[in-house]
Amino acid sequence: MAEKSFETTSQVCCSTGSESLPILASPMESPLRKVLSRISGFVPSWGKKTAPPGRRIFHRDVEQDEFQNGTAHCLSSYYSVFVARLAIMVMLAILIGLLTVLTWHFTRVYTTKSLNTLAYGLRYELLQRPILRMWNILNSTSEITTAQVKLSEYVIRRYSKPTNQAEQIEQLYQMMKDITWALFASRKALNAITINYRNGFVQAFHRDHRSNNTFYIYSDLANYSISDTGSYDNKSQSSRQGWNDQFIHGNVSAIWYRQPLDPLTGEKIGKSSQIPPEDLINIAGPSQVPDGVASWHVAVSKYTDSPLLSAALPVWDASNKSIVAVVGVTTALYSVGQLMKELVEVHSGYIYLTSQEGYLLATSTNTPLLNNTAKGPKLMMAANSEDRVIRMGAQWLQKTYGNKFPPGHVVHVEKANLGGQHYYIDSFFLNLKRLPIVGVIIIPRKYIMGKVEERALKTLVILISASVCILAIGCVCILILTNGVSKEMKLRAELISHLDARRRAEASSNYKSQFLANMSHELRTPMAAVIGLLDILICDDCLTNEQYAMVTQIRKCSTALLRLLNNILDLSKVESGKLVLEEAEFDLGRELEGLVDMFSVQCINHNVETVLDLSDDIPKVVRGDSARVVQVFANLISNSIKFTTSGHIILRGWCENPNVSSDSGKFSPDQKKPMSALKTKLKHGNHMKKVSKKDNKMILWFEVDDTGCGIDPSKWESVFESFEQADPSTTRTHGGTGLGLCIVRTLVNKMGGEIKVVKKNGQGTLMRLFLLLSTPADGLEQQRQIDFAKHSVAVILALHGSMGRLIMSKWLSKNGVPTLEASEWNELTQILRELFHARTTNSGFDTHYSLAKPLRSKVQTLQDMKKLVYIIVVDLGLLDLSTEIWKEQLNFLDKFSGQVKFAWMLNHDTSNAIKMELRKKGHILMVNKPLYKAKMLHILEAVIKESYVEPQNRSPNGTKGTSKQGDSHECLEIDSTQFETCSSDDSDISEMTGANSVSSVGIREQLKEGTILKSGPPTLRNCLVEFTRLGLEVNNLRTEEDQCNGRPKFHDTKDVKCENPNSSEQPLVRSNVKDRDNSYTTNKAASEQKSLEGLRLLLAEDTPVLQRVATIMLEKMGAVVVAVGDGAQAVEALNCELDGDENRTNRLQTEICDSPPYDLILMDCQMPMMDGYEATKAIRKSEERTGWHVPIVALTAHAMSSDKEKCLKVGMDAYLTKPIDYKLMVSTILSLTKRSTKG
Amino acid sequence: MDLVQLQRQLVEYRTSLYHEGFLDAQFTQLQELQDENNPDFVVEVVSLFFEDSERLLNELTTALEQQSVDFKRVDAHVHQLKGSSSSIGAQRVQKVCIAFRNYCEEKNVEGCLKCLQQVKHEYSLVKTKLESMFQLEQQILSAGGSIPM
Repeated sequence: MAEKSFETTSQVCCSTGSESLPILASPMESPLRKVLSRISGFVPSWGKKTAPPGRRIFHRDVEQDEFQNGTAHCLSSYYSVFVARLAIMVMLAILIGLLTVLTWHFTRVYTTKSLNTLAYGLRYELLQRPILRMWNILNSTSEITTAQVKLSEYVIRRYSKPTNQAEQIEQLYQMMKDITWALFASRKALNAITINYRNGFVQAFHRDHRSNNTFYIYSDLANYSISDTGSYDNKSQSSRQGWNDQFIHGNVSAIWYRQPLDPLTGEKIGKSSQIPPEDLINIAGPSQVPDGVASWHVAVSKYTDSPLLSAALPVWDASNKSIVAVVGVTTALYSVGQLMKELVEVHSGYIYLTSQEGYLLATSTNTPLLNNTAKGPKLMMAANSEDRVIRMGAQWLQKTYGNKFPPGHVVHVEKANLGGQHYYIDSFFLNLKRLPIVGVIIIPRKYIMGKVEERALKTLVILISASVCILAIGCVCILILTNGVSKEMKLRAELISHLDARRRAEASSNYKSQFLANMSHELRTPMAAVIGLLDILICDDCLTNEQYAMVTQIRKCSTALLRLLNNILDLSKVESGKLVLEEAEFDLGRELEGLVDMFSVQCINHNVETVLDLSDDIPKVVRGDSARVVQVFANLISNSIKFTTSGHIILRGWCENPNVSSDSGKFSPDQKKPMSALKTKLKHGNHMKKVSKKDNKMILWFEVDDTGCGIDPSKWESVFESFEQADPSTTRTHGGTGLGLCIVRTLVNKMGGEIKVVKKNGQGTLMRLFLLLSTPADGLEQQRQIDFAKHSVAVILALHGSMGRLIMSKWLSKNGVPTLEASEWNELTQILRELFHARTTNSGFDTHYSLAKPLRSKVQTLQDMKKLVYIIVVDLGLLDLSTEIWKEQLNFLDKFSGQVKFAWMLNHDTSNAIKMELRKKGHILMVNKPLYKAKMLHILEAVIKESYVEPQNRSPNGTKGTSKQGDSHECLEIDSTQFETCSSDDSDISEMTGANSVSSVGIREQLKEGTILKSGPPTLRNCLVEFTRLGLEVNNLRTEEDQCNGRPKFHDTKDVKCENPNSSEQPLVRSNVKDRDNSYTTNKAASEQKSLEGLRLLLAEDTPVLQRVATIMLEKMGAVVVAVGDGAQAVEALNCELDGDENRTNRLQTEICDSPPYDLILMDCQMPMMDGYEATKAIRKSEERTGWHVPIVALTAHAMSSDKEKCLKVGMDAYLTKPIDYKLMVSTILSLTKRSTKG
Repeated sequence: MDLVQLQRQLVEYRTSLYHEGFLDAQFTQLQELQDENNPDFVVEVVSLFFEDSERLLNELTTALEQQSVDFKRVDAHVHQLKGSSSSIGAQRVQKVCIAFRNYCEEKNVEGCLKCLQQVKHEYSLVKTKLESMFQLEQQILSAGGSIPM
């Protein structure tokens, strides 16, 4: 069973092994090959350690370049990985090996054990059987002997009577013969039965097994007498010689006869023949029973080739005193050998029996057991057996044990090496009395264990091969696994290092930006000093002209340098993330108009036309950072101007509400792309989305279109990079650093927009950008449009610039105002004549010009319309100013003055003489040149208004108004120059804004309020100041009614045509006026202005020095300053005043109780007792019951925008950094006090 | 001494103060603020500064000598010193104050002590410089001249 189970397990092993191997082999093939190649790759690199094996082997499939720098690092990590792999593999190998060995061992041990037990049983059984047979033989022999003895005794006793001795003896012998025969015949196995009488007579039956004959052998009776006592005594005495074989054999005198018998019946079948004593069989004589007991021995005879077992028993006489005869029985051991042969035939092996001395008794082989010597056959020693195995076995036994056999002669040897083969040797000892027998069985081990061992070997081989396979697969798996893991780890490490590097790079870039920001700040300060000092120098009177020119030059250069620095600061501010866009409402249209006004001056020099074309749907007020928006356009326009030598620059703007998803297809199709980009952007930024939902986010589209040299399409992207110009060579001709567009793009992006260069038809560049600006929630009020159609006005545009004229006429006709266009003088005269030909007389100007057909028809239609008020917008450039002809031209136009209104477009450098002349002629409508909608609107409104009031006011106001108008133009002139000084002086980024606002103010003022100015240019400043003060007074003291009208009292008598279209504009205008004023005063530090006159300020500042400085500063400007040392005092002072106010209220006019005790509080943030934040909170809290809002301006040394956030959060209104910047402080205070008075 | 020479000397001295970084534009502003109404404005403010700074420096010294330094207090003092020095334009004092505050933020006592020494040094420097400048001005005024700007 064990064998069977073993077989099954081994089968399983075999099958699994054989099955799994091919399966595994196919997918493993490629990794195996890889491993092999890898190993082969190891070998050389192992050999020469200098080579970086890690690189070559591991990163075959990874890009090598990436790891180039990490080679050294890889090497060490590779080694560690290799060691780890090796360790895992070794452990796996040990595990699998252990498992294999254990399995094999236990299987084998169990099998062997059970097999050995079985084999032992088998061997024992095998050996037992011949021994039993032997035992049987012995028993039967002894039985027969005993029986024979008993019978013989009986017979002898019966015939022992001495009567008739001879006859008696004859009878006795006959009797004995019969009895013996009966016995002999009954036992076929017997070889012989002999009876040897005392007298020497011998009777014997003998069976020859070879010839299968039976013989009766007897000796001659004549010589013996049974009763010969004497001889008997004699014999008994000389038994030593008489009863031995020699005696018998030597009994020569006796004649031996042999008579063949029928083996079955015992009848004599032949004559008895005499035989020589040599042929005698062994006859047991008295010598064999010397003690009268049974004896055994092994004999040989020449008739058998097997040893004989002979037993001898004495036959006692009746008295049991003497031996009468000796009975001997011999049995052939042949049958034992036969049995053994049979046994061995079934089971292989060898069995033999030996006597204790080592004589072979029986073997399972056919080899002879006897030695044929000269003295006849003799017993053979087992060690001399002719059979090789038996001989060797016997020799082995002898050698191993010698004479010291273990007790009982029992030996079990499982592995005896006999002639190169292993045998089981077992011996068994049969301890018979007088004949101990040893049985030995030798079974070849192969017979029992052969198969087993063979199988075991096979199993072992299979097991080992299977485990080797598993090991190999495991190793490959580990390799692959660890390879993957290590690769992943490596990639991760790579990633981490990359991230690290990126962080470092970002940090360093940040440092760079910060450094730049700091540096430009540091640079700016000395620059400001330089410029200031230069200004002082310019003011000096003692300079010669040459020196003056030089200083002016230096001044210009310094300004340029400062601008550059400002740009760099802007850029680095944006890059370092410090730029925070402010959110404030501003009038986009006005800002842009101001910008165009400003640049038109430059453009006129360049012979370039600047046109502003904003569509009507652009919201009036938007929220955003006005300074930055203006900066964007200023940069763009100045860029365009730089590269445009002739033609025009158009700033177009239109609006698109992202909430209203699709548009009417008004725009070119390529607009869709930015739109989608915007949408993704909106989707992208969660914040943005929120904002756009909450607020009214508007997409405002702008285009800056110029007719300059254009940009190569390949550079469309790169022009927005830092220090990049489309054509490097242009730097020389145009100058510039290439920072402008970069700043523009960063700003635009920051405002949620995009900018790009768009392909345009014709020459030049078209930059298109959109900005995402929110409009105030309530600020979506539609632009109030005057229905011009019902006023029945018509406009004749006599302008040089074709683009501006075209756009303007389009817009006018869209709004229902019929227009006519003329680009030169002749055309204008033609139109005029056509229109008014009935009433005009030719004054000598050529008439041969005829109008073009369409124009004529237009004129015709206009003529049909009655009662039209004609407005002729005349460009002063149309007149021939180089000669005196222009006066005549003027006279010519004057003829129509009854029927038309003239509006003159002036250049910024138009000489006073011309203006005076115009004024003299009664042309009072004059505007500076770039004509855009707002200006047109004002002209129209003024004309319409005038046409209404004319009848009443004409006579008293005619001349007066004119003179006032003249003043306003003077003012305008001054404005423009002042703007230049101002802009150059302004050291901050707000330069553009400041300039812009100033210039726009200038124009606005001219349009609306200019007429109030009574004095000439030198006194203008004072006037302005006065006006400001008046304005303040008005705000503070005047009745509500006046404020609503936005018309200060003193306006109404003088200003007839300047009805402010929007009353809400008034405060804004005024603040602008003041800004300008301030900037002006700072220019001339020595001036005696009191811009803060009448303001009551509370200063909370703990540092005495700063307190003093600020107090003096403010007081110098006319403000009343109360200084306190900390926040608590500030709160207290405020509350005190509040209480005091109650009393004062009664004394003063009722108006005053409306205003808080202080117009403004300047609050240091870091103060002992109560810091600025706390104080502000407290103040705001206490204000809740009064409903006031005292503006609080933070003063802090923390110059970070986060502080600004904090300040604004606690309820402060503005934020100033220390050291206090004089101008900034004043402008801040003013804007805040304005706001508060307005509210 | 010749008045003109004195005036020139004053101008040169002042320029050197600017040049060496002892003073900056803020001081110029101070000077601009001085007029007939406040004829001694600069001197007044500067002496205010001296008083305040000496007080602050004393407090700083005691504060830093404590076993456990109250960095918040030190920081507040330094902040004040910074504010006042910046408002008179004592640039170098202000700069050291900035470094001082950094050390305060790091709670670095050694750095603070070092900075305190530096501040004291700078302060005494600027004090002597300013004082000598005022002396010059006084001389000019007593000589009947006007102070050149």
